[in-house]
Order: sequence, then structure tokens, then C-alpha cells
Amino acid sequence: MTSDSTIARPTAEPAMVIDDVVKRFGRGAEIVTAVDHVSFNVAQGEFVSVIGPSGCGKSTLFNIIGGLLGDYEGSVMIGDERISAPHPEVGMVFQEESTFPWRTVIENVAFPLELQGVAKSERMDRAHHFIDMVGLASFEKNYPSQLSGGMRQRVSIARTLVSQPKILLMDEPFAALDEQTRLLLGDKITQIQQQLNQTTLLITHNLTEAVQLSDRIVVMTYRPGKVKRIVNIDLPRPRTSDVVGSDAFGHYVAEIWNDLREEASRGMADSEAAASRRSAHG
Amino acid sequence: MAATGQITARPRPSVAPATGGAASARAAMMLRVACALVVFGVWEAVSRSGLFYGEVVPSLLSIAKAFGRLLVDPVFWKNLQVTALETIASLAIGAAAGVVTGIVLGANTFLMRAFEPYIYYLSPTPRIILFPVMIMWFGVGPTSKVALGALSAFFAVALSTAAGMRQIDKILIRVGHSFRATTWQMATKIYLPAMRIPILNGIRLGMGTAIITVLLAETKLSNQGLGYLIMQIYTRFDMPGLYALLIIVFIIAGACNALIGRLAKEQA
Amino acid sequence: MADKAALPFYMRRAPEITGIAALVVGVFVFELMVRFGLVNRYIIPPPSDVLLAFERVIVEENILARCGETAFEMLVAGVSSVVVGVPIGAFLYRSALWRRALEDWVGALAAAPIVLAFPLFLVLFGRSPKTIIVMAFFHGLAPIILKTIEGLAGTRKVLVNVGRSLNMTSSQMFWKILFPSALPVIFTGIRLSWTFCLITVVGVEFLINLGGLGQLINDLAERYDLPGTYASICFVILVSVLFFIVLERIESWLQPAR
Ligand SMILES: Nc1ncnc2c1ncn2[C@@H]1O[C@H](COP(=O)(O)OP(=O)(O)O)[C@@H](O)[C@H]1O
Ligand SMILES: [Mg+2]
Repeated sequence: MTSDSTIARPTAEPAMVIDDVVKRFGRGAEIVTAVDHVSFNVAQGEFVSVIGPSGCGKSTLFNIIGGLLGDYEGSVMIGDERISAPHPEVGMVFQEESTFPWRTVIENVAFPLELQGVAKSERMDRAHHFIDMVGLASFEKNYPSQLSGGMRQRVSIARTLVSQPKILLMDEPFAALDEQTRLLLGDKITQIQQQLNQTTLLITHNLTEAVQLSDRIVVMTYRPGKVKRIVNIDLPRPRTSDVVGSDAFGHYVAEIWNDLREEASRGMADSEAAASRRSAHG
Repeated sequence: MAATGQITARPRPSVAPATGGAASARAAMMLRVACALVVFGVWEAVSRSGLFYGEVVPSLLSIAKAFGRLLVDPVFWKNLQVTALETIASLAIGAAAGVVTGIVLGANTFLMRAFEPYIYYLSPTPRIILFPVMIMWFGVGPTSKVALGALSAFFAVALSTAAGMRQIDKILIRVGHSFRATTWQMATKIYLPAMRIPILNGIRLGMGTAIITVLLAETKLSNQGLGYLIMQIYTRFDMPGLYALLIIVFIIAGACNALIGRLAKEQA
Repeated sequence: MADKAALPFYMRRAPEITGIAALVVGVFVFELMVRFGLVNRYIIPPPSDVLLAFERVIVEENILARCGETAFEMLVAGVSSVVVGVPIGAFLYRSALWRRALEDWVGALAAAPIVLAFPLFLVLFGRSPKTIIVMAFFHGLAPIILKTIEGLAGTRKVLVNVGRSLNMTSSQMFWKILFPSALPVIFTGIRLSWTFCLITVVGVEFLINLGGLGQLINDLAERYDLPGTYASICFVILVSVLFFIVLERIESWLQPAR
């Protein structure tokens, strides 16, 4: 078992360097620091998760790394390029429902290839392959409105994978899924990631998911979003969802939860205060 | 801001009751036929009874005859052509101006806040009262009808396009950028398909008001067009003819409405 | 949000101010163009004349009585369409069969250009306010029926299940669950309906030259009183816009917090 773990272990060369990134929203008294001096590296082929309570700035960080939020302090480097616009080798999977309602499943998945001008028959073939991979082969001709939320999210994942990005960024891609689907799709993602030796950054608020999938976990604080701790997950690879039952797994979950609990309860207190403010105002 | 003052008869999926689909569809059809028969029966009875003065409620047969007479009358077809041309011209002008305005207002928050309230609140005002002004500007000929029709269509199309532009799911735009779509690709593959339905809906509503406004303007002051024909028949007190012509106009308006509605519903 | 409040008024309201400024400048440009003879003053009278005509229109044309007449016709038609439309909608909602048979017809009624049939109504009801009221009533009816059905049918399934679990009778179910949950949508129907009523009342008044505000415009236009015509059109538009704003305010005030 342990001998296999070398397959996907990070090589020395970092694929991505996040250095002292700061992002503030608003101005004047209402300024919100969403991301506060965040630094970490992601090595080639490594699977890193960023975990933190809702509202701690994870999506903001995701958008910065994806190049959709060009205006930030510090630097995100991929190769020797500072990211300020979407990078061709990066693929993004969004937290929100993001399929095109006017395209069928296969047309959705083929979208990036269409932008690149890939010939129709080839892009259909390639789209088909990835639709198969996420288990939606029999729904190719359906429109997203005919699918469940979880299936739509799988369509988005396939759409991102189809252009075979070297670096995969995912923002809570499994948030809309039930626990079982989440575990199984997690297996799929690990499998694909190992196959393609993809560098992956997963944003999540789900502990199990993070430990199941990652080589390292970046734990963030709640507001301002800082890096609280980085945890190495030394669980054997290849991994499947079976690992969830193991002792080592439980140990990691408990350890990270310890860090996270404090942050999460701060977040909860905050949102409760906000809710009571709202109701007081009518 | 949702479009006010617009027709609410949005086609909605008919909710089939839990009990037997096909059987109740047949029952509904039978009930519908029965209702129609009752209406016709009562109508005919009232007509025979002579309860109303003169020909106010003419017999169904005489309406049907008038219907047939109209359809073979070249005068009807000539006037229909005039109205159709006026409506098409007004819709083309109004919709083009409306789409451009809608895109500008939808894309720019500043302009939206500056000018959209005017369009929004003017849109449900009775347009026909602007007819005297249109006559002063464009004379008594077809131009004044086209102008008034274009003005009516403009509001619906502009509001609907602007709303469509704003309602585009922001995430889809981010998806486009994340795949590094060019400006042209963004326009053709994301904005246009996402806005097709609101634009077509705006055109459908705009066409409805354009038809009504053009016809009303013709009834007020004109020497050609179906509106003019309605007034002619009214002045002659040809009640069967009036019923027949109004039915034809309602059918044409309904058919145009259904046609564009169908286009908007097609796929997706 | 709060930092926006800290900005001075003219900064926060810059777009709205720009809109008003554009309007004022536009009017001013017209004034100049007419004054310098670039635009025929018998097509567009100078805005200043129109402004002056406002006073004349208000003082000499019995404006209060006219507003009263239009309001009366509008209210009779509007209230009747609510009184008739809501029960019809509730009935159609309760009977799946009738709903299936007739809902499309109601939809067709909503889209039908009823105003065009004014010559017919003239014959049926004579040149009297009755004609105007009946036409406005028919125009206002369909939106109320459709929105009542939509509102009742849109009641969340779980609320209905709550009622069922409490063994509510079907009349309790209607009055305690379905109707209250449908009320916001029904209000929207009323707003739409009354908007249609006002359009129809003013439009038909203008077309058949009878009654309140619509006739005022026709009168002045037939007298070739140009500034007066413009002023009366502006006046009627202002009144109707005010009416829509009030309806909207009432609607949102009646909506429960979401
Ligand atoms: N465009 C924005 N404008 C202002 N504030 C924002 C914006 N985007 C995010 N924020 C704020 O930044 C904080 C972090 O948000 P986000 O990154 O979405 O958190 P997460 O994804 O961890 O739930 C939140 O307090 C949020 O209100
Ligand atoms: Mg998020």
C-alpha cells in the first residue's frame, strides 16, 4: 500500500505559488478583508484542499487564483506568470449552478472545445468520454432543467475536465450533492486526478471530503480569512472512499475539526447577529 | 423591476391532476365543447327572442354569412394589407429601438438608474392619447399610425430586453471568462442565447400593443385599414359584419401572439 | 451599504439627477429650437407655452370633475373585476376539470384586444359611462382570474401537507392555508387588472369622446389648441403614472416580508 503512495506525490517544482495575497471589498468604514495575507504553494500533481467556514473568503481566493478577480494584492504565480486574467492551463468548477440552460448536456460539456475551434465530431467524441466518466452517458441529449442538481454539477465538472486543464480549481463542487454521491464522485475525481496527474485545488467546507481527497489541507480562519494551519494528510494512495472508515482518517478529522470548531462558531455567532439585526430592522 | 401592465397569460405547463391523464383530457375537451354549445344556444335564443333592439344580437347564421362575405370581399383584403404593413413597420422600428435601448440600459447601471424609471412608468400609460401629437408630427396618413405603433412596441421590448440582460446568471458570464472566451464568443455563445427568450417575449408583448394601437388609431382617424373598416361597418350599423370583422381581428391577433410565443418556447 | 450612505446626496443620486437633468435640458433645447424657428411651432409648441397652458387646463376645463368621473368609472370596473374574478379563479383552481377546460380561454381573453370592440359596446350600451365601465371590467377580469389560480396553485406543497396532517377540513384548508399563501400573487393580479382598467377607461373616453380625462385631450385637440393638447396629455400621463406608483406602493406594503 505505502509503496503506491509515490505515484502522485508532489514533485519538487511547485505548480502554483500563492504569496501574501490580500483582497478587500468595499471602502471607508465598511471595509471587509476577505482574504488576509494568504500564502501557500501547490506542488505539481498535488491535491490541496482549502477548508474554512462559510464566509471566510474561500470563493474570493478561488476567483483570484482563477484570474476572475484581477485586482488584488500579493501574487498568485503559475509558472512565471502573475495571474490577473484566466490562465489557459487552469480549469474552474464553480460553487453555483453554472450549466447553460439552453444547451443539452453534451453541448454543455463540448463548450470549451467549441471555443477552441475543435471540429464537431472530435469535440463530441471527447465530450462523450467525459460525460461517461461522470456517469451521465444516458443523459447526453437532455437539457439541464431535466436533471437533478447533483447531475447538473457533474455536467459542470465534465465541462471543465474536457479541456484537460493542467490545474484544476474547484469551489465546493459537491456542496449540492448528497453524502453518498459526494463520496462516489470524490472517488471519480481522485481517479481522474491520478490518471491525468492533475494539480488540484479544492475549496470546501466539508471535513470528510477534504481528508478523503487531499495530500494537504489549508485550514482558514473566519474573517479575516487567514491561513490558520496547513495539515499533511499521510493516508495511502490510491485512495477510495473506503478510507473514510479507517482510524487514521478519524484521527485527521478530529484534529482538523479542533482547529475549525473555533472558527466555525465565530462564523455562526456572526450570522446570528446579522439575522437578529435584520429582523430588528423589520 | 418586473414589467408591469403586461399580459399575464404566460403559457404555463398545465398541471395534470393526479387522477388519470388522458381520460380527464377528453372530459375537459367535452366540457369545453359543452360550454361553447351553451353559449351559442343562449346567444341564438336571445337573438330569436328579440329582447334586444334591432340587430344588436344577430343570429349565428347571419354572423357566419357576414364572415363568408368578408373573406371574399377585396375591400377587406386591401384594408388588411394596409394594417398588416403598418403593424410590421411599427414593430420593426419599435423592436429595433427597443432592443438597442434595452441592451444599453441592461449593461449600464448608471444609465439604467437615470432613464429606466421613465420607460418603466410610461409603459403602461394609454398610448392612444398620444395620437393627436402623432397626427401633428406625421400627418393623417399611415405614418402617424406607424409612429404610434412603434412607440407602443418600443416600451415592452426595451423593458424586457433590459431585464433579460440583467437576469443573465452572472455565473454563466464567469464560466465564459474562465474558459477565456473572446468578446465575440461571449456575445454569440452566452449573451445572445441567454437573452433570446426575454427578447422574443418583449417582441410578443410589443406586437400585441402595436396591433391594438395601430387599429385604434385607424378607428379614430383614417381612410384605410381594418380599424377604418370597423368604423365603416359600425356607421352602416351592419351588426353581423361588425361581429364577423371583430372575430377575424381577434383571431389574427391571437395567432400572431401564439406564433411568437411558440418561437420563444422552442428548445430550452 | 453604510459607506454609500456616507456619500453626499448628489453622489449617491448621480444617475437619477442625470436623468432629470437630461429631461430638463431636452425640454430647454426644444424651447430654443422653437424660438429660433428650427421647429415649426404649430407642430411642437414651445414648452413654456405648454407649461402656461397647464394652468388653463386645470382652471378652465373642470379638471376635478373629470378626474372624478374617470376615477369613478375606473373604480367601479376595478372593484367588480376583483369581486367577480377572485371567486372564478378559486373555482377554477378547485375544479381541475373546469380549469383544464377553460384556463386557456381566460388566457385568450387576457390577450384579446378587447378595446377594439368599442363600437360593439357602443351599440350594446349606448354612449354612456356604462360602455366604458363594462369594457374596463372585461379587460381587468382575466389577470385577476389567472393570478388567483397561479397563487393558489403555487402554495407550497409542504404547507398543504401541514394542513392535511392537522386534519383540516377543505374549507379550513382554503381559508387558513391556500388563500393566505396566494394573497401576494392575487395582489399582483389586482395591480395588473387595475392598470388595464385605467388604460381602457382613459383610452375609450378618448376614442368615443365621452367622460373624463380621455375626453379632455380629444376636446383640446379638436379645438386645435396645441399647447393645451400637449399640456392635457402630460397631465393625464402624470396622473396615470401617479396611479401606478400608488398601486405598486400598496402592493409592496401588503406583501409580507420575504
Ligand atoms: N463582490 C464582493 N463585494 C463585497 N464583499 C464581498 C464580495 N465577495 C465576497 N465578499 C465578502 O467577502 C467575504 C468572503 O466571501 P466568500 O469568498 O464568498 O466566502 P466563502 O466562499 O468562504 O463562503 C464575505 O464576507 C463576503 O460578504
Ligand atoms: Mg463560497
